[in-house]
Amino acid sequence: MATTSKQATKSNPDGPVSNQPKESAAVVRKAIFKPPFEGIDPKTVKPGAGGAEPVTGFKLRKEVAAEMDAVYRAPTQTALRDIAEASFGPPPPQAETVHGPDDRVKITTTSVYPWRAHASLLITAADNSQWIGTAWFIGPHTLATAGHVVYIKGSGVQGRDGWVKRIQVMPGRNGASLPYGSVTSTNFRSVTGWTNSSGGDENYDYGAIILPTQLGNTTGWFGLGVYSDADLLASVGNISGYPGDKPAGTQWYDARRIASVNARKVFYDIDTAGGQSGSAVYRIVNGQRFAFAVHAYGGATTNSGTRIVTPVFNNLVAWKA
Amino acid sequence: MTTISGTVVDAVGKPVRGARVYIAKAPGPVPDVAAVTGADGAFALGAGRAGAYEIACSSDSLGAASASVEVAAQGATVELRLGKR
Repeated sequence: MATTSKQATKSNPDGPVSNQPKESAAVVRKAIFKPPFEGIDPKTVKPGAGGAEPVTGFKLRKEVAAEMDAVYRAPTQTALRDIAEASFGPPPPQAETVHGPDDRVKITTTSVYPWRAHASLLITAADNSQWIGTAWFIGPHTLATAGHVVYIKGSGVQGRDGWVKRIQVMPGRNGASLPYGSVTSTNFRSVTGWTNSSGGDENYDYGAIILPTQLGNTTGWFGLGVYSDADLLASVGNISGYPGDKPAGTQWYDARRIASVNARKVFYDIDTAGGQSGSAVYRIVNGQRFAFAVHAYGGATTNSGTRIVTPVFNNLVAWKA
Repeated sequence: MTTISGTVVDAVGKPVRGARVYIAKAPGPVPDVAAVTGADGAFALGAGRAGAYEIACSSDSLGAASASVEVAAQGATVELRLGKR
């Protein structure tokens, strides 16, 4: 396996790195939005009202305004901690990826956009251990995913950390059915903020899978967007992916309001489970789907993803070229 | 970084291949991935910190199972048993 290329500098945690020798990953500095593409054969689900997908059996929760204010308003002084922590230490949070009732619904029409632009992943790590994850097309030959999907950090297992060996990519998978076949990649991207950090810095947990084919032209891909805090907090976040607690290779969807944001992360109560790392967190704008985060973590009361801010956007755009 | 290692077995104690194993509850944020067991049924998940965890697994043919485990600094071991005895 090739070693990390040298073009990134330690002072720039968004400096792109690759497992390919002498790979150039130029940073693009221009638009804040990139439009989606719905594929060569445009079988497309028309987005529903309210920012969620029109999936049979799924109903977006309708919180009353007062509840929304209490539950979803981002704290204005996030750096301040409970005074009790000074005496008793931080409370023991419980991370669970399904919060309250499990609202996820199974996607059965996975050969239709946008579902076919999500891919089930079978990841083989450096120690030959195998893992499942999720990725999503951002271009003809590029899928975005979590950094820890392509580059494992802090596993505690000898020989596991580092670039994974290979990833089998199965777009639009529905159980044993692979409507677009599968493609295996050994060509990955991430950034030094993830690969060089001690144990892995959540703020830079994003990466990409480069395919040796142009399969994205068939499946279509998601748009990318850099949005303000206010925009995100007013948005419904949509996530579809391949969780390990459901029948193998089945795609599951959920959507809910965004709970809070910070400079590099987005937090939400959208239900997920192990295997959905790398999923797109996207919003629907004027009938088009724009990703604004990469799902990566199960958390205490919210799950979270890596926010697509300008440096992340620039890298994703460069990687899809 | 510490590790939660273990084995997924069926009702008679035979290792289960292809089970998906993931962290269902943890003392802090955890990567939302799932391990896939090999022929020996073994898995090893990274645990960011010590504390109480719930480890769960799922198999299409044998169902689901979970176990609570207290993870210390040196890690923890857990056995997940699928199917009815």
